[in-house]
Amino acid sequence: MTGNETVQAGQGGGRHTAPTVPSRAEGAAALDLTVARLLSRGTMSAVALLAIGVVLLAAAGRSPLDTGFAPLDLARLPSDIVALRPEGFLWLGLIAVIFTPISRVLASLVGFWRAGDRRMVLISVAILSVVATSIVLSIVLK
Amino acid sequence: MIVALLLVAGGIGAGMFGSLLGLGGGILIVPLLTFGFGLSIREAAGVSLVAVIVTSSAAASVYLQRHTANLRLGMSLELFTAIGALTGGLIAFTLSDRVLAGLFALLLLYTALTMFRRRDPSPAPVAASAPVDLATPPASTGAGAGAAAEASTGAHVAATQALSGSVVTAGSSLGPGRLSGLSSADTLAGLSGPGYRVRNLGRGIVGAFFAGIVSAVLGIGGGIIKVPVMHLVMGVPLRIATATSNLMIGVTATASAVIYVLRGGMDPLVVGPIAVGVFLGASAGSRIAPRVHVRYLRLLFVVVMIYTALQMVLRAAGQ
Repeated sequence: MTGNETVQAGQGGGRHTAPTVPSRAEGAAALDLTVARLLSRGTMSAVALLAIGVVLLAAAGRSPLDTGFAPLDLARLPSDIVALRPEGFLWLGLIAVIFTPISRVLASLVGFWRAGDRRMVLISVAILSVVATSIVLSIVLK
Repeated sequence: MIVALLLVAGGIGAGMFGSLLGLGGGILIVPLLTFGFGLSIREAAGVSLVAVIVTSSAAASVYLQRHTANLRLGMSLELFTAIGALTGGLIAFTLSDRVLAGLFALLLLYTALTMFRRRDPSPAPVAASAPVDLATPPASTGAGAGAAAEASTGAHVAATQALSGSVVTAGSSLGPGRLSGLSSADTLAGLSGPGYRVRNLGRGIVGAFFAGIVSAVLGIGGGIIKVPVMHLVMGVPLRIATATSNLMIGVTATASAVIYVLRGGMDPLVVGPIAVGVFLGASAGSRIAPRVHVRYLRLLFVVVMIYTALQMVLRAAGQ
């Protein structure tokens, strides 16, 4: 028996099965599922936060269009959430929405790194760099 | 309070019709917020981008679970859609509302034309354009992620049908040029999938970059450009192209959405009700789609789109 084979003892009397080392296709399929779970959970979390914000907004009787809005202030976010102010949950939900695709790229980067796929690792890093550039340019040009 | 509920209701309507007609939410949300709630087109585009990220992320999770989306191809192209979105996001803040209205009118007319000319789907496009059955969430999550939305299908198939024949010809006339260096056998093989081989990567990159700009400026997913490019120019099967385009929307829209957020162009009080509404509406739309005859709905929608395009033209003319 080689290191790439396994024996299912007690199941069919030591019957030999397929190699345990995943093929590239199996690795890609596993990465697809990991990323799918991440996107699903990220989206659900983001929508839940936004929904809480909407309920608080409606409960407060505020009209979204009548009042101006304060720009994103990360330092103020925790106090807004603790005080159950709609802005806190809405900004947090918005951040979760934006972070969901970014986390998908991060997860892909890790998956490609483990698979030794240097080209896709570089592409993943480049995508993250573009998003980072967006953030930096937005702050600089503000 | 009433306005917040109206925004949720508007989002539900946009999400449901978008899902039934195979449209991304953006092309519906921007006119809704502009004419219905008095937002500027740039403000509406920012809100729309967030809704588009929500629906496309949810749909992409389903596509990936089914292994319909090509992750390697999608990420390779989304690098360039993201660069285009970064460029477009910066451009959007330099354009006046009138210019944006004119550009959006062109987009509406193009979409209306492609939907009007859409042939009755043959069996293959049906598979590609049918809304994802989102009732079943990814098996291992147990969450309600399946109750989400599909951000791009039928309209992109329609655009692909409308362009078929012309795009391939135009593409072949470009000549290989410098871009052929990107199309090494190794690279293309790595991006291909079972039963198909990717070609013309350089032209696909140009199309992806352009799609990113349009997405960021007008607040749409950009599938109406990406799907025809992938299918007609790059040889990706329509079903895979549609799913892969959906996967790419999230990062593309994120690259420009952060610009809207950080430059003060995103109102969270409007984003919340619209995003939640679109999510709910698209979820409902994907579930009732198999029981709805969309032929007359599509024709009605073409009329509404043309009317909206004329309103945009008037806005662009300053009236």
